[in-house]
Amino acid sequence: MLSLRSRAWISGGLSALVAVTIGTLLLYSFLDQRVLERFDRTLSERHTQIVVALSNVPDDPGQLAELIFDPVYQTPFSGRYWQVTGPDGQTYTSASLFEATLPDLIDISDTLTVADSVGLETEQLRIARQLITLEDGSTWTVAVAEGRAGLIADRAEMRRSLLAAFGLVALIGVVTVLLQTAAIVRPLDTLRKDVAARWDRDEELVETDYPEEVAPLVGDINTLMQRNRDIISRSRRQAADLAHALKTPSAILRNELQSLSEKSHDMDRALDALDRVDAQLGRSLARVRMANSGETTFARTDLSNSVNRLSRLFSAMASRDGKHLTTVCDPDLGIRVDAQDIEEVLGNLLDNALKWCRQNIAFTARQVAQGIEVIIEDDGPGIAEKDRPEAVQSGARLDTSKPGTGLGLAIAIDLLEVYDATLALEQSRTLGGLAVRILLPARLTRS
Amino acid sequence: MRILLAEDERVLCDQIKKLLTAEGRVVDVAHDGQEACFLGATEPYDMIILDIGLPMRDGTSILKEWRGNGITTPVLILTARDGWSDRVDGLDAGADDYMTKPFHLPELAARVRATLRRSSGRTNPLFLKDGIVFDTRSGRATKDGVPVDLTAQEVAVLSYLIHNAGRLISRTELSEHIYEYDADRDSNTIAVFINRLRNKLGADLIQTMRGRGYMIEPA
Repeated sequence: MLSLRSRAWISGGLSALVAVTIGTLLLYSFLDQRVLERFDRTLSERHTQIVVALSNVPDDPGQLAELIFDPVYQTPFSGRYWQVTGPDGQTYTSASLFEATLPDLIDISDTLTVADSVGLETEQLRIARQLITLEDGSTWTVAVAEGRAGLIADRAEMRRSLLAAFGLVALIGVVTVLLQTAAIVRPLDTLRKDVAARWDRDEELVETDYPEEVAPLVGDINTLMQRNRDIISRSRRQAADLAHALKTPSAILRNELQSLSEKSHDMDRALDALDRVDAQLGRSLARVRMANSGETTFARTDLSNSVNRLSRLFSAMASRDGKHLTTVCDPDLGIRVDAQDIEEVLGNLLDNALKWCRQNIAFTARQVAQGIEVIIEDDGPGIAEKDRPEAVQSGARLDTSKPGTGLGLAIAIDLLEVYDATLALEQSRTLGGLAVRILLPARLTRS
Repeated sequence: MRILLAEDERVLCDQIKKLLTAEGRVVDVAHDGQEACFLGATEPYDMIILDIGLPMRDGTSILKEWRGNGITTPVLILTARDGWSDRVDGLDAGADDYMTKPFHLPELAARVRATLRRSSGRTNPLFLKDGIVFDTRSGRATKDGVPVDLTAQEVAVLSYLIHNAGRLISRTELSEHIYEYDADRDSNTIAVFINRLRNKLGADLIQTMRGRGYMIEPA
């Protein structure tokens, strides 16, 4: 769906475009009219000049050319003309008409009329004409004409000068739309950042910090965030209660069986069955915990801190066994994965590495182009390439020679799948044993 | 060595207490968080086994309170919470070791021994001196290769003195570490145990500082 910002930009831009276009057209029309009126007024004044000259020489209109000194009337086809037709039909013209005459003048009345016409050589003309009755009672047709090229040039010049002004107006409109959009959308941007930050700090949003239109949404978000936290904590509590309720009796049962076994009773089958129950219990409890992870987890976890916490724990465990853990971690790695989930994944894999390594474990976490990569390597026997697909299948256990349920890797894979993260088994290039490579995708690392 | 066992499941308590008592430890039991917090803060235990999921008060907050008040008694957390985050939280709160349920009793016994040994600064589980060998893991002793039969209380006295080898231990301190919380503590009986140990292991092993207490020289 189109974003609010895009909607505001598009609608604001269209509104500005329509307003500027209509305004431009109206203003052009108004100014065209004013230019035409000025042109016609000048034409009318020239017409009056011819009429005045004619009234001075009604008996000898041939002198008109001498009475009217404007040199433009003397230049052939200069674009400015006059023409007088006497009562006897005799026509007198300006020298600029050379031997031609103005187009047929029809609908002439004693009122001055101005109209467009086509003259010599298809020249666009504007002609003012009128029937004039002199004092002696004679009626004359007096017409003046001027080429419209000047008028068109005036209009073009006026439009050019206005276009720059309208461009500036349009620019101001666009900037205003951008500013308005930013001002309107800012509370929503703030809300988005606040939601992410409050998730991390486990705080509620304050409705009064937002405009009244957004405040109800903030209230709803608070409710949803609280509900989400409740779901996660209830799930965790149920898993913890269930663990306590089942594992303590299991411990009692194991101790009783062990005690009987030490008294020479054959308890091997019972202890073996109990081992399977405990393993299944561990897996099921892990599933109960992860049932509400992933989609419901938005809190940002400080991955660097989790890596350092686990590094501290496993360094101590390794040194007790005479082994060594080396940790390299980029600072400030953040990820939208529940802290307990990612620590469970990394803890299980480090526990496996500690069990199988001869001497050394390397623990690396770094930012890469696709997200965050975590690699846990050891110098143990590793897993043959042909056995790796089986090893990453849920619940598979390749070797039972080491203590434990053998479910650590399976639980880690299950948890990573919830977050769309991937796990790959490889041979360590530096230590020679197994390398477990985890890629936490970029979508989990966004702020 | 006197140990506080804070665990709400009574049958499990009995099993652990039986195990530790057989190794010559003295075990006090607390079944809820408040009692555990009080005993851990007021009694001089050599070690505490602490369940996190105790009723009335959770183990992590108790441990933080103890550490905040300067109580440095080694603590082994024994819990059904087996997540790695829980383990790191427990160790960060001040625990010395962390075990998850279900567990093997022999492993618990080994962890208890290792924790006690670390707290005393000793690395060798065997105490070897003048032909005497005392195995802190089993509580068994030999003198010149001949097994010596020791009672549970004699093992408790000898263990405490060996764990604190080189330090003068008063009768009162010794009685505090070999008797349970509600036991009738008669410090005169300490002298009886010391005499018996001297008769069995030789008069020179335990030195008496008259009016001040007893001491075993480090091996």
